[in-house]
Amino acid sequence: MSVHVAGIDAADRRGGWIADTDARLASFESPARSVLEPYVSSLTAADRITIVPDAHYPFHPSTGMVTDPAVVGSIADHLAGWTEADVAVAGASDDRIAFDRTAEYLSYPDIVERFGAEIVDLADESRRNSVVTVDDEQVSVSVPERLLDSTVVVVPTLRPTESGPVAGGMRALGRLVSSAADAESTAVAATRTVEPALSVLDATTAFAGDPIAADTLFAGPTQQVDALASSLLERSIDEDPVLRAAFGVEEPSITVENAGGSGPDVDLTTLRRRLPNGALPPRDETHPAVTLAYRLYARVAGDAVPPQLESGR
Amino acid sequence: MAPPFLDRWSDSSALQLGVLGVGNIGMVHLKSALAMPGVDVVAAADAMPANRDKAASAGATRTYDDYTTLLEQEDLDAAVVALPPFLHADAVECAAEAGVDVFVEKPLARTAAEAEAMIETAREANIALGVDHTLRYQPDMTGVKEAYDEGSVGHVPYASITRLNDHPLGKPPADEAPPAWPMDPDAAGGGSLIELGVHCFDLLEWLFGDLEVQDATMGKTLNIPAEDAATVLLRAPETETTINLHCGTYQWEQLPEVNTRLRLEGVTGTISNKEHMPGNFYAGAAKAALSNVASRFTGGEPDVFGPTFYLQAHYDALEDFCDAVRNDEEPPVGGELGLRTLELAETAYELAAEGDGAELEPPEVMT
Repeated sequence: MSVHVAGIDAADRRGGWIADTDARLASFESPARSVLEPYVSSLTAADRITIVPDAHYPFHPSTGMVTDPAVVGSIADHLAGWTEADVAVAGASDDRIAFDRTAEYLSYPDIVERFGAEIVDLADESRRNSVVTVDDEQVSVSVPERLLDSTVVVVPTLRPTESGPVAGGMRALGRLVSSAADAESTAVAATRTVEPALSVLDATTAFAGDPIAADTLFAGPTQQVDALASSLLERSIDEDPVLRAAFGVEEPSITVENAGGSGPDVDLTTLRRRLPNGALPPRDETHPAVTLAYRLYARVAGDAVPPQLESGR
Repeated sequence: MAPPFLDRWSDSSALQLGVLGVGNIGMVHLKSALAMPGVDVVAAADAMPANRDKAASAGATRTYDDYTTLLEQEDLDAAVVALPPFLHADAVECAAEAGVDVFVEKPLARTAAEAEAMIETAREANIALGVDHTLRYQPDMTGVKEAYDEGSVGHVPYASITRLNDHPLGKPPADEAPPAWPMDPDAAGGGSLIELGVHCFDLLEWLFGDLEVQDATMGKTLNIPAEDAATVLLRAPETETTINLHCGTYQWEQLPEVNTRLRLEGVTGTISNKEHMPGNFYAGAAKAALSNVASRFTGGEPDVFGPTFYLQAHYDALEDFCDAVRNDEEPPVGGELGLRTLELAETAYELAAEGDGAELEPPEVMT
């Protein structure tokens, strides 16, 4: 299975981030076209296309913690030119924050509506149940119908999860379905049920302890792209239960092809060396041992225990 | 000179205090008050059940889901108003009707006009009105002021202050629902300039005297309703100091580190607040903890939140307010100072809007 890669020309850029959205869209136009072109036939056959970015929370896109909406806009732009399909950008409200609020803060409406795409909150969509086998276990998932009835393009950003493994496209889909199974099995089951046509990895800005302007886009089958992303962040595929379940006993074999375009060729060894391999920032919640020690101190000294030591901020 | 407040608090019993709003900062005030000699926290109010539970666990005698009910049913001497800014004016009005002195979390109000009305309400009801501007209570800032007042760097032609944090969106992993009101100018009065800048204005006038706003610019790093970055150019005529203020709510914060930087560039050198902070937070905290333990065994009172200097500043500010109430004195940081910070913020917003080429509303003409 091939994954296609394209570099982004950043020679004229000052700093690691282009603040102007139009300028970012322009810089992504050629590399996005290059990585999408090998998959045009599967995309043009669709009546409906749903783009699923990593828009789990309104972190600034320059952090790499979310997909850059300009990457999504660039994909929507190409799809608008190639197909007559109805294109939507989808996320889902959760306990923390409504998706329309996240989308608004990240400027999704302004960016994607200019290409005729709509913003969809999958939390409001009707669902269908599906049962798939993951690691010899039957996993039941409740999936938004839009993901089942449309051609899905997942657009994860290159970042780790809080627990360590790469976030990736499978986990992005897993967040959009509901299941009684654990998050890892849910992610695999969601991917097998939805059968995304394509995953576009936004490595324009990556995060792994620190943000880095990695200036790269990848596209290919979702589990192969996730495995490649894991490798780039120096995570062991064997230690990632999602990738382990997705590939089973097979050793992932991934061919990476330079897709061309106007940007520079991408050398994966150099890119891997440039990327940090850190984790998300530590939580502000204090370690239980520290809290215990502080409580003891406070009791002895007659001091108050700060609320921050009792529960989050 | 304002008249002394009504001598409601005249006996030797403890100050009866209520806390209106026990979210993040409200809990700091609650815990401060619970640890404060001569103060009884009789009640706390919050619309959120989880916050009421925390307040009850911390030691609040009674809890209410509505602050107006608390003010009606409790016999208070003073109340801490730690509600969102859009409720400050109503809370002060209710407290005034009940004859209860108030210590209001910053910003005092959403606008200078609202603050003026609150000050008038307090004046008419003869209640004390204090504001929680805490930078001036932080040891690093008092250290800067001491060094400056001693003339340790001579004349200071230029100063800069930067205050950054990540309120309210936070940093990853984010698993709490971020409130919407801090980013809603109608509810909060503005964005980061109101959230953080007013603290800086208060500190700078404490250091340099009256300020004049020369210019300002506002920025948004996300598509949010209010600014999350503000830069203000100020002038202090009395000390002939030009000051650059930058505040923003866009930067990830990793507690216990806080990004508050104050530099006074003098003729013979620089005074920085960093010189007056413990080099290592944990070492400083441990030292403060040991001091408190020793104090306990020698019969002294602990420095509440001693190991956490920025929380200790909130304690000290509330303690000063309570002392003023007890002594029938004006609070050291009163409504007029809170108003002043809002006037400076409004001027900055106006200048920023002019700079953006935005149309300003025509002045109201009185006929």
